[in-house]
Amino acid sequence: MTAEPELRELRELVAEFQPNRGHVMPALHKVQNTYGYIPRSAFEVIARQLNSTPALIYGAATFYSDYRLHPPAETEVAWCCGPACRVLGGDRVREALQEELGIGLHEQTEDHKVGLHVGQCVGTCHEAPQVWVNGKVKGNLTPESARELARGLKGDAE
Amino acid sequence: MNTRLESIISAAKSSWAAEQASGRIRITVTRDTSSLARGADETIARLNAAIESKKLVADVGITGSWGFCWMEPCVTVRSAAGTHTILYGNVTPDRVEEFIDVVASGKDMPELALGVVEGNPTAEIPLLSDHPFMKGQVRRVMANIGRIDPENIDHYLANDGYAGFGKALEMDAEAIVKEMLDSGLGGRAGAGFPTGRKWDFLRTATASPRYLVCNADEGDPGAWVNRVVLEGDPHLVIEGMLIASLACHADEGYIYIRYEYPLAFARMQKAVEQARAKGLLGKNILGSGKDFDLVVFLGAGAYVCGDETGLMNSIDSYRGMPRIKPPFPAQAGLWNKPTNVNNVESYANAPMIMRNGAHWWSSVSDAKEKGTKMFTFSGSINWAGCIEVPFGASIGHVIDQWCGGMREGRTFKGFQPGGPLSGVCTANPNLTLTLDPYRELGLFLGGGGIVFFDQYTCTIDMCAFFLGFCEDESCGRCTTCHGGTQRAVEIMRRIQAGGGREVDFETLQKLVGTMIWSNCFHGQFAMTTIKTAVKAFADEWREHIIEKRCRAGVCRDLESGLVTRPHVEELALAGN
Repeated sequence: MTAEPELRELRELVAEFQPNRGHVMPALHKVQNTYGYIPRSAFEVIARQLNSTPALIYGAATFYSDYRLHPPAETEVAWCCGPACRVLGGDRVREALQEELGIGLHEQTEDHKVGLHVGQCVGTCHEAPQVWVNGKVKGNLTPESARELARGLKGDAE
Repeated sequence: MNTRLESIISAAKSSWAAEQASGRIRITVTRDTSSLARGADETIARLNAAIESKKLVADVGITGSWGFCWMEPCVTVRSAAGTHTILYGNVTPDRVEEFIDVVASGKDMPELALGVVEGNPTAEIPLLSDHPFMKGQVRRVMANIGRIDPENIDHYLANDGYAGFGKALEMDAEAIVKEMLDSGLGGRAGAGFPTGRKWDFLRTATASPRYLVCNADEGDPGAWVNRVVLEGDPHLVIEGMLIASLACHADEGYIYIRYEYPLAFARMQKAVEQARAKGLLGKNILGSGKDFDLVVFLGAGAYVCGDETGLMNSIDSYRGMPRIKPPFPAQAGLWNKPTNVNNVESYANAPMIMRNGAHWWSSVSDAKEKGTKMFTFSGSINWAGCIEVPFGASIGHVIDQWCGGMREGRTFKGFQPGGPLSGVCTANPNLTLTLDPYRELGLFLGGGGIVFFDQYTCTIDMCAFFLGFCEDESCGRCTTCHGGTQRAVEIMRRIQAGGGREVDFETLQKLVGTMIWSNCFHGQFAMTTIKTAVKAFADEWREHIIEKRCRAGVCRDLESGLVTRPHVEELALAGN
């Protein structure tokens, strides 16, 4: 597990943000971009900086699906849940990935090497059915090629 | 025109002209999310390497999407003499070597060519406008996309950019609003509310400061029209918002871009910085005494932030839960100050209306809805692309002309006209791309993302998926919505697992009637898919609920039925 960053480091990181200027989300983005997730201690630091309360900051952070409260896996696989992927067999691809990785959606393998979560459609539907491996599209998948992909990711980890 | 703007434009025009007459071969590669997914960066890198190793006198630039998303990466080659430009598709990294050899020898490559963009057609390559995908399209918002570098403000300025703003600077606010009203431009996110009237609400508001918001939280899965604009011509949106700021006396603007569009966010930020550097944004714009600045705001993954009040709450720093109306945004929006929210495409049309007049703008469409609309198509079709057409084409025509037909072995079963709240239609080829026919069916034509289904798609499975989406994305304010979507998902899962009961029809109908009392569109229309699908695909519902049979063979706990489903692998291969 990654150690929580020092409070002073966090304070410096969000020092540029101001109260009542719509800066909660930019501050949360900056913290996540720096650490890969939002450490627990960041809520109080951001709240103090923005003259707000940890409850409001935590409330905002947990509303959105792209803020992570835990460190990501080394390789994050986002499975596209969009309708075009589904029409072309996307759900079978999800099943294959889950089975091969031995995890469900929004879970990580025990060694934190591979994670699987839901991704939203960005309109690269010509590649359907697809996943993003650390943000990079792997398209035109079949259950078989998805299994192969998962085996490769697990293999890299070993 | 404003003299400072005039000199900025003429400087840009001369640098554009110099670029065009450089005597060098000019290669541009589409660099957007779609082409990056197909290896555009690798194509660019290999092009540069090959040019260097072959000592070719050529430049490589980038553009936005031509709309041929399924053929990315698209590449244009402009001859050294500047006499002809050809657009090529599928210039994948492995083809670059061969491609550059052909370019270096001064020849064309007909096997990859999509058409001639500039100059005369050749015996083997017709004009791009004669390509079946381009026929019937009227590209206005997309006029520059593919032709200019989206990261270079001079390219935009040299191609009529900011000329509409220049005109608007000489008009008073009322006259700008009148021109917008005369054009008949309706909101492009689906509701079709006159943009000019929205602007007038803010113009006549009394409090200050006033805000403009551009809703670029394009969350409908299967829709990427806004992405094409943001990534391909970001200054068009800035100019549209500048014009709106004059019409509404607005002080500051926010462009809210969804988290899933990082490239659009980066390009928009760059465009805003460039506009600021030219004096087009900030204090005392071009010496006119007018102040207006833009903030590019990144979302974090929440579908309900596509609702204008949810979006405003999101900027205001709270959970992005839609507000209760009234007060309307024009009375109390961002920080409870008067605010106007428009879609990307609505703002993007304003520069053209100012430049060419309302009459020119509205004359293109025979339908009640004026102007052109962008659409993206995906699903069981051959060409997943983006088009811009006047309203009114029939769905049958859309599939044949712009979707390249259905994929091999797949027949047209139905489609979703625009997002998870819009409902599903049967395969009726006569439905037109206008707002009314869908309203009559209890659906609506949304933001432009149309998804086509085939016989291997199970309607019940699709409904379960869309309800699951609505459940996940419910903000949680209204019990009718968060409880209602949960209940609907439970029922759908039970039906799929073989536990359907006759009474389910009635229960689902009750949910439709209950959820309509939710505060925002999300809850009100979450049941539209089920409501419309029960009517449109009644037989399939009866088979699932009563006979425990799934004709498409998707629901595996049920007996598979009428359609023999080919092996999934075979299907995928047929798709490639």
